Amino acid sequence: MARGAAVSLAVARIGAALLAVACAVPATLAYAQSSTTRVIPLDQLKSGLAYTGEDVRALQADDFANPGMLWVERGEKIWNTPAGADGKSCASCHGDAKSSMKGVAARYPAIDAKSKQLLNIEARINASRSGDQKAPAFAPESEDMLAITAYVNMQSRGVPVGVSIDGAAREHFERGRAFYYTRRGQMNMSCATCHEQNFGKRLFAETISQGQPNDFPIYRLEWQTMGSLHRRLRACLYGVRAELLPVGSPELLDVELFLAWRAQGLKGEAPAVRR
Amino acid sequence: MADARIQIAPQVKRGDSFEVKIAIRHAMETGYRVDDVGKPIKRNVIRALVCKYNGTEALRVDMSSGFAANPLLQFWLVAGNSGEISFEWDDDAGTRYAERAAVTVAG
Amino acid sequence: MAPRPFSRLHRTACARPAFARLLATLALAALPAHADLLPAQISADSVPRPLTATPGDAAHGRALLLARENANCILCHAIPEARFSGNLAPPLDGVGARLSAAQLRLRVADNRQVHPSTIMPSYFRSEGLTGVAAQYRGKTVLTAQEVEDVVAYLQTLK
Repeated sequence: MARGAAVSLAVARIGAALLAVACAVPATLAYAQSSTTRVIPLDQLKSGLAYTGEDVRALQADDFANPGMLWVERGEKIWNTPAGADGKSCASCHGDAKSSMKGVAARYPAIDAKSKQLLNIEARINASRSGDQKAPAFAPESEDMLAITAYVNMQSRGVPVGVSIDGAAREHFERGRAFYYTRRGQMNMSCATCHEQNFGKRLFAETISQGQPNDFPIYRLEWQTMGSLHRRLRACLYGVRAELLPVGSPELLDVELFLAWRAQGLKGEAPAVRR
Repeated sequence: MADARIQIAPQVKRGDSFEVKIAIRHAMETGYRVDDVGKPIKRNVIRALVCKYNGTEALRVDMSSGFAANPLLQFWLVAGNSGEISFEWDDDAGTRYAERAAVTVAG
Repeated sequence: MAPRPFSRLHRTACARPAFARLLATLALAALPAHADLLPAQISADSVPRPLTATPGDAAHGRALLLARENANCILCHAIPEARFSGNLAPPLDGVGARLSAAQLRLRVADNRQVHPSTIMPSYFRSEGLTGVAAQYRGKTVLTAQEVEDVVAYLQTLK
């Protein structure tokens, strides 16, 4: 009896082990599949605008009062101004941005066909600038970089975010996802702690948003100027006392891809105004 | 480069008042802030802004560090003759700026 | 343009009698260099013994709760008298009646030991964290004395 029980226990153990082995492969697949299931349902996706006040919404809606339009106008001039050794402007190859750039920013970050690297819109613009125009690249977070991205991204106003996480993009997506859910910093918080589990609640007097990326570059009243998504991510890292990753760093780029995937379907809003 | 945007109605009627808007890209650096390494950032705000309507001063604003960055000014003028609305301003850094826009008066 | 730094409200200086400060220094000198709680200090869901020899100063504790740096408790918790506060976490009104000083001490120092999935930072823990900025690495958010001060204030919320 006792012996029989021991044997059946051993069999059960082996069975469990086999089951575990058998599950290992499907479990990996299951994980891969579940990780591409929407985190927030499409009809519940809200841009940061939903978490601002009426005054901020009015400022964004008015294309004259929206301070971001000052950068858009500067960006339009950059678009049409020849630069670099060959004297070419963006318009020399791309023509009128209003048609050629429509919906482009909504597809970034994306794997670049030429370099096979994951590029966000800033990096893609700089690739054209140094590669095709033979002009100096725009420095990260410089006025010119913010201006040209404000202008290019504005052409995707109203276009739903839709990035690809297939092929080479997949590993970036998974890394970005892992970063998003990892608690970090002395305050030991992950992006998800606030922007997934607690959006709509308040940190002091600030309502926590879903942390959507569809509206960058943004004119942030706290900054009193324009800033990129990476600058905004750095502000959160600073807040949780985590290591500050540089604007344009591979880690932030991966997070940007994850955020864009998470925001798929949300319409472009650049240049947005935020608190 | 694109330091300001001006907005005026395309056509105004003589004797009517019309709205003038100007948005200026300027950091309006207060002088009270420090940079990343704790060094004070030098004050640089717009000092005075003058608006002229066909050469006659119509508005003068003395600005200070209390203004937000990238100020937006909105005011009303009475339409006289067609011509030009011009703006001039300078800042603590000694840079002088000028922008102008045409105004067309009917009647 | 350089990023605008977060507004920093400087902690109100708190005068302590020199004698008490001396005692605290002596007590600290007797403690191990290891700053985090030791397992031996924890009993069930509490830390029965104060972390320092100097009793907590409730007034300083209150200032810490309100200060926008370090403790910054009102970022998430409402407390009586604070005009604004967050609502990410339960209000602290009455917490002194619900929990003992020993229980409060563990919750302030390292709430994860009570609620493993809590989003509340551990204010007296420097290990087991990821990607901490260099200037905070190996350091606790609050000092042992500050934990005592916060606990002293929370006890008054009855």
